[in-house]
Amino acid sequence: MTYIARRIIMMIPVLFFLSIIVFSLIHLIPGNPAQVILGQDASPSAIRALEVQLGLNQSLPAQYFSWLAGVLHGNLGRSLLDGQPVSQLIVQRLPVTVELAIGTIIVAIVIAFPLGILAAIYRDKWADVATLFVATVGISVPPFWLGMLLLIEFTVKIHLFPSSGYEPIWSHPLQNLSVMTLPIVATGFREAGVLLRMLRGSLLDVLDQEFIRTARSKGISGWKVIFHHAVKNALIPVITTGGLQVAGLLGGIVITETIFSLPGFGSLLVESVFSRDYTTIQGTALVAALAVVLVNLLVDITYGLVDPRMRT
Amino acid sequence: MSFHKNKVFFTISTATLLSLSAITGCGTTTTTTPNTSPVVNSTNQTLNIGLSADPPTLDPAYSSALVDRQVMFNLYNTLFKLSTQNTIVPDLVKSFTVSQNGLTYTLQLHQHVTFQDGTPFNAAAVKFNLTRDMQPASARHSSLSDISSVTTPSEYTVVIQLQKPLSPLPAILAGRAGMMVSPTAVQKEGANYPNDPVGTGPFEFKSRVKGASIQLVRNPHYWRAEPKLEAVTYQIFTDPNVELTNLQSGAVQIVDTVPPQEVSTMEQNSNFTVVNHTGLGYEGIYLNMQQGPFTNPYLRQAVNLAINRQTLVNVALKGVATAAYSPFSSASPVYNQQQDTPPTPNAVKIKQLLAEGGKPQGFQFTLQSPNDPITTQVDQIMQSMLAQYGINMKIEQLDFGTLLANNEAHSFQASFLGWSGRLDPDQDVYSFFYSNGSFNASEFSNVQADQLLNQAREETSMAQRAKTYAAFVHILHQQVPYVFLYHQNNVFAYANTLQGFHYYSDGVIRAYSLSLS
Repeated sequence: MTYIARRIIMMIPVLFFLSIIVFSLIHLIPGNPAQVILGQDASPSAIRALEVQLGLNQSLPAQYFSWLAGVLHGNLGRSLLDGQPVSQLIVQRLPVTVELAIGTIIVAIVIAFPLGILAAIYRDKWADVATLFVATVGISVPPFWLGMLLLIEFTVKIHLFPSSGYEPIWSHPLQNLSVMTLPIVATGFREAGVLLRMLRGSLLDVLDQEFIRTARSKGISGWKVIFHHAVKNALIPVITTGGLQVAGLLGGIVITETIFSLPGFGSLLVESVFSRDYTTIQGTALVAALAVVLVNLLVDITYGLVDPRMRT
Repeated sequence: MSFHKNKVFFTISTATLLSLSAITGCGTTTTTTPNTSPVVNSTNQTLNIGLSADPPTLDPAYSSALVDRQVMFNLYNTLFKLSTQNTIVPDLVKSFTVSQNGLTYTLQLHQHVTFQDGTPFNAAAVKFNLTRDMQPASARHSSLSDISSVTTPSEYTVVIQLQKPLSPLPAILAGRAGMMVSPTAVQKEGANYPNDPVGTGPFEFKSRVKGASIQLVRNPHYWRAEPKLEAVTYQIFTDPNVELTNLQSGAVQIVDTVPPQEVSTMEQNSNFTVVNHTGLGYEGIYLNMQQGPFTNPYLRQAVNLAINRQTLVNVALKGVATAAYSPFSSASPVYNQQQDTPPTPNAVKIKQLLAEGGKPQGFQFTLQSPNDPITTQVDQIMQSMLAQYGINMKIEQLDFGTLLANNEAHSFQASFLGWSGRLDPDQDVYSFFYSNGSFNASEFSNVQADQLLNQAREETSMAQRAKTYAAFVHILHQQVPYVFLYHQNNVFAYANTLQGFHYYSDGVIRAYSLSLS
């Protein structure tokens, strides 16, 4: 418990420094929100006037600290573009990406675990080759290409799924699942390939070790050896990879979101960078960083569950 | 209403896009009545419209993106409006008169119009809107900068006083500057107004998920016949191929763009109709006349003559654009076919220009350009065209925000930036080519051009203005502050279940007349 508390306290400086880095980076790129908002037909005087209105004429430290003061009071500020509270934007968008990430990982696990174990058991046999072929295809095929293919096949040719029209799962569960199925499959297939190869490699290492031979020589059945002894020990690198995958997914699966017209978190971040919507960039980057840090924490806690020696 | 004797009234049924004939002696006033088209039974249908970008704002005072208009023209009415015949006619204005010196516009408004929140629409509301749009921070500020005062002598009369004659005013007030927002809603919502906009239009705002969709519903108290549709939902697709897939799957019934490579396939599909007309805007390249190689007029002319526009249109744009050589497309009331037809590149002439410019072996320059796939192709084709004459064009791809910032700061040699076009020709050239104009990125300055641009603002006859603009375009051809490449086409595709579609040259889908069979 103290270990988790320590880890949570350590997150604070990480997020603080990250917010400074993000703030500095976005102010380094040319262009300013007032100009993007007003567009081409904006006179310099109009741009200056809007800068004053948006508070962009203050010094950078003053802008940063006023934002930080807001955050410490639980206020992420308002979008420079249309005055919408940034927290409201995040609440609208984050569930989409979280659902996509969870769905993707479930699909990846469902595909990767049975096939990975199968491939390790039947090393160098046809089952192994076939499985590796599936994994290689999964890793090689870009999700956006697979997504487009699924979209044309299952929404235009066969009207099995809708091509767009996201609704939150708590208000329209069926509509939500029918819209989310294709994007989850498109991204899940690739993540499954990565996870499968990792699990197979890790299992092969474990299966060559002394304690497995000992277990087998004791007469423990093949399946029991695999599931009780081998898989548990092979999980550490797989969890590490899985954690990295989840963190990557939470950062936003922008292309998948674009193809399936999902109002996700990644698209919000990209759009806000293009429109130089500073407050939205800072808010979304902070939440994305928090998500990654939390996933890392979760991975570390899982290590402890899988291997008690790692809890120290 | 009484008028001073020396005031002349102009007929407005054809407003500024047709000639406001200069009448001597007594004038006339033309009025419009609320729409008398037969009342059609409203339905409970919802139309889904695909949009290629998420509208940044639904507040006309701060709108700069073209896509905003797709939604706003259905939420708001404007003082004047564009007709399907490409003329400017009154909308919320019932009739109007212009003083003989062109400095006073007197607008009579329709009565019994209310905003969607119940606020009455009257002269005070118009004054509130125009005053708000004239604020320095508004995106409409520059187009209304010639207004010196707005007064309201009676509840439904508005008098606009100008500093100098401005014949494009009705056309300006048919665009975003003429969109009337509810003063009550603006005062109540403050900075949050764009998230709950209120107008007098046929549809009212219901909800929005940023980046995903915007939902409008029928305005039950619309001052004209009720719209046929119960609701209109805009769905945002940032990838045009995805947008088209959603049209084919039936998720939307009309889309505001079609990828160039898909146009011919869609035209052959009997379930859909493709609309492909030349728009009012232009795409091209600003040449910075104050620095680098383009201080030299011969080198500007050489680049201008070396690009084969028709090849760009055929190869990269696959026919969804029209080759251009002037700011005025065939959709413009001052279109001049001869001036807008690009000459075929002439190697002898180009080499001669390079020699006269002191660079017989060619020269090098950098083009700053947006980083979208189609513009990239256009850039690469131009690069190979120019290379034939030893002109080495380096391509620097930038995101739009950076491109815009550099353009405004004149920090470029050549900048690929277009203009979406406006209803009145003045709005397509004045600020871009007038000395120290607010969007004059090339820093072009020519006394004669300035005179012609001012003259065209004062002339009321469109035929006369066309002649003035022809003289102005002639100067552009000689001086080349900007290389006009092509006019973007307005391309729509819709399912044949959609009824009542009318094409407007501004490229906006007006949902009022639409229904689904």
